[in-house]
Amino acid sequence: MSPALAMTGVSKSFDGFPALTDAGITAYPGEIHALLGENGAGKSTLMNVACGLYRPDAGEVRVRGERVSIDGPKAAKRLGIGMVHQHYRLVKAFNALENILLARGASRYGRGLREVEAAARRTCDALGFTLPLDRPVGLLSVAEQQRVEILKVLVEGARILVLDEPSAVLTDREAAQMLDTMRRLADEGCAVILVTHKLGEVKRYADRVTVMRGGRVVASADPDAVSLSELTSLVVGAEVHHARVPARRIGAPLLRFAALTGARADGLRVLNDATFVVRAGEIYGIAGVGGNGQTELAEILMGVRRPLSGSIELDGAGDLCAEGVRGRGAGLAAIPADRAGYALAGSLSIADNYAAGAVLSGRFGGWFRLDRRAIRSATEAAMAAFDVQGARSPNQRAGLLSGGNAQKLVVAREFADPPRAVLAHSPSRGLDVRAASAVHARLRAARDAGAAILLISEDLDEVLLLSDRIGVMSRGRIVAEFDTPAKRNAVGAAMVHHA
Amino acid sequence: MDAPSETAPQPARDGAAAARAIPPAHPSRRRLGRLSVGVRQHASARLQGAVLAGGLLTGLACAAAILVAAGIGPADLVQEFVVAIVTSPESAAAVLVQGAPLAIVGLAAALAFRVRFWNIGIEGQMIAGAIAATVVALHDIGPPALRLPLMLAAAALGGSAWILGPVLLRLRIGLNEIISTLLLNYVAFNALLHLLYGPWRDPENNFPNSQLYEPSEQLAELGWQNLTWALPLAGVLLLGGWWLLSISRFGFLTRIAEANPRMGEAQGLPMTRVILAATLASGALAGIAGFMICAGAEHRLTQSFASGYGFSGILIAFLARNSAPGVLAVALFVGTLFVAGQSLQVFYQIPASAVQLLQAVIVLCVAASDFFIRHRLRWLR
Repeated sequence: MSPALAMTGVSKSFDGFPALTDAGITAYPGEIHALLGENGAGKSTLMNVACGLYRPDAGEVRVRGERVSIDGPKAAKRLGIGMVHQHYRLVKAFNALENILLARGASRYGRGLREVEAAARRTCDALGFTLPLDRPVGLLSVAEQQRVEILKVLVEGARILVLDEPSAVLTDREAAQMLDTMRRLADEGCAVILVTHKLGEVKRYADRVTVMRGGRVVASADPDAVSLSELTSLVVGAEVHHARVPARRIGAPLLRFAALTGARADGLRVLNDATFVVRAGEIYGIAGVGGNGQTELAEILMGVRRPLSGSIELDGAGDLCAEGVRGRGAGLAAIPADRAGYALAGSLSIADNYAAGAVLSGRFGGWFRLDRRAIRSATEAAMAAFDVQGARSPNQRAGLLSGGNAQKLVVAREFADPPRAVLAHSPSRGLDVRAASAVHARLRAARDAGAAILLISEDLDEVLLLSDRIGVMSRGRIVAEFDTPAKRNAVGAAMVHHA
Repeated sequence: MDAPSETAPQPARDGAAAARAIPPAHPSRRRLGRLSVGVRQHASARLQGAVLAGGLLTGLACAAAILVAAGIGPADLVQEFVVAIVTSPESAAAVLVQGAPLAIVGLAAALAFRVRFWNIGIEGQMIAGAIAATVVALHDIGPPALRLPLMLAAAALGGSAWILGPVLLRLRIGLNEIISTLLLNYVAFNALLHLLYGPWRDPENNFPNSQLYEPSEQLAELGWQNLTWALPLAGVLLLGGWWLLSISRFGFLTRIAEANPRMGEAQGLPMTRVILAATLASGALAGIAGFMICAGAEHRLTQSFASGYGFSGILIAFLARNSAPGVLAVALFVGTLFVAGQSLQVFYQIPASAVQLLQAVIVLCVAASDFFIRHRLRWLR
């Protein structure tokens, strides 16, 4: 039997950074094929090549034995490849049928809608989906929206289904239902590719697993033939040796998270009773697979989101979650993961972005008059001290800085005053090695000056390298804590086994 | 050429955009025949000024062409729009009288737009302010010497009260302020009609407007032409607006609220309070503009005193790029258009709507010139 989809030797790089190197996957009709790997391992990139969203720099793609060139999503659709993306592509104001019609690109609304409805009802009956087809999808639950996405690719006639992290946003029961549906589709002759980082799912549902790490395929195996710990080592790789610099003097607890519970904007509870402390003079690293509550934890600490319950006590400042208390005034510094969203205003100048941190302190003039010259000279000094390059003057728009220099600007602003507590959320994401190590050095310096540092990162290497203590976050709570140096496999296992 | 940071493909996230971005080597460029259009990353202040001036000149040329096509000679145009305004004191004074309330509504719009609050309800706030001032006048609240300041304060309060609902709804539940402020215009206007056709109808002649204000309730004349204290009041408010937007710390905070309020929140800056303060000030200024027209020109509350000012304010703030000196310049310019338009109506039988047409043409040209600030064009040989 020829494979439904066979990709071999696929390479793809972005701006010289290789995202895929000689990668590939072979999926047969009738199987659920898991594509396993950490964040950034290249799983999504490989699948985006299959769906025509990216063109590979090199490599071969065969569909049902025939060599094809997939030069766009339409070509992928014609070949029967359908992808359910991690972030759904649905028009919230449209109902399910209209969304399907939109994806199909039918020109005649009325007739097209009738055709789509007939096909959608057939598919729903066949799969046992209960789904209100006539409600705006914005009013549906996340699981129902996912069903609309699945329905969409099936009505389009897909026989090769790619699901990118389909269970990330689902409850366990919903995930089990979804995976049962995939099993049924596979039994009917579809090839299902499940992009995931959950080992449990792989063991339970997949017929075959391909493991990726660092843009390469490291193994392709029968999941029943490999143990969980073997899979874990395949996913996280061998221990990488970097020079760790342990903390010099760890003091008393400074930042206490007590039973913190929080929900996303859409109401999904993602933070469940998170409890831990960060002591003065240590870096507490939170490891975990993305989407397990880390973002919400960071947002609550920064004061841009309110928790449902629980508290964050900063020694001497009280509960940071209480009305009217702002961590910023009490010596909290933050390097957010979403740089464009929370850290910088791209349309304002570098100087304005720098001044935003201390504008209320009076250093740049009082309420009556803002001292632009003081801002300019302080910014120039900070740009020199923190090696912010690529700008002719502080009056240039911050949005023109490259990722690394923008991050250095953020660090320069946040560390302008010695902080007492620091939140560093994926601080080296998208940075080259030099910029990343510069940021790491600043974090260590702040730690050694006695600050309590909370590092949240999906990059396990970064957590292992920097942390003095590691907490693993899963399903919104700290499920395990490790003293360092910690065994990479042990931390990795805690990350994925609880997921 | 372009900074690499913005042209780099974002892996995975936005599939549709990525798909489009793949085939050409430079996704930020497009070709139209021999013209190549690229995104401009950075425009210097001088270039921006030049492009704006170019847009303005184009708009003026189009406007002149329309008037010439309507049968007014080019020489007459220069006479009406330039010579008459500069040489005749009556016309110059008329421009200033027109310009004062225009500048205030322009400033009101600029303050709200500065925090990304699209205040379409300036006319409603003017009406609310004028009604509040008229309450003070009709009921003789306070000693006569303090009557005008009291009316001013009442107008400011009335105007901000009228915007309070929309801004609270927007901040609390995200209700779109464009809809709420627009609809409150009609509420205010119907309330005004109710008062003027009901309890406040002028008892002397039974016309549907309020009684004439007493002299102590009218803005006094300055003694040159028909200028009143409305003009210095507008000057003081513009000065205050300039300080608020360009000098003070508050002005800096409004720019963060405009550019990225989420970043402001994360920095611990009181974004909600800044937005609230700027919008309430916007409403207060609109209310004061209503008071200025009633107490300075009409000397009573009339049905249509606010008509047209709301959209003029939006337009002035837009052309002035939300800056107080810009508001002053554009308000005088729009005032000139009004005054010259009136004489065109009288002497050349040009319909009143032609003035609005001219305004619209000029605004469109200036708005379109923005394209050249954001993009760069090149001829391909």
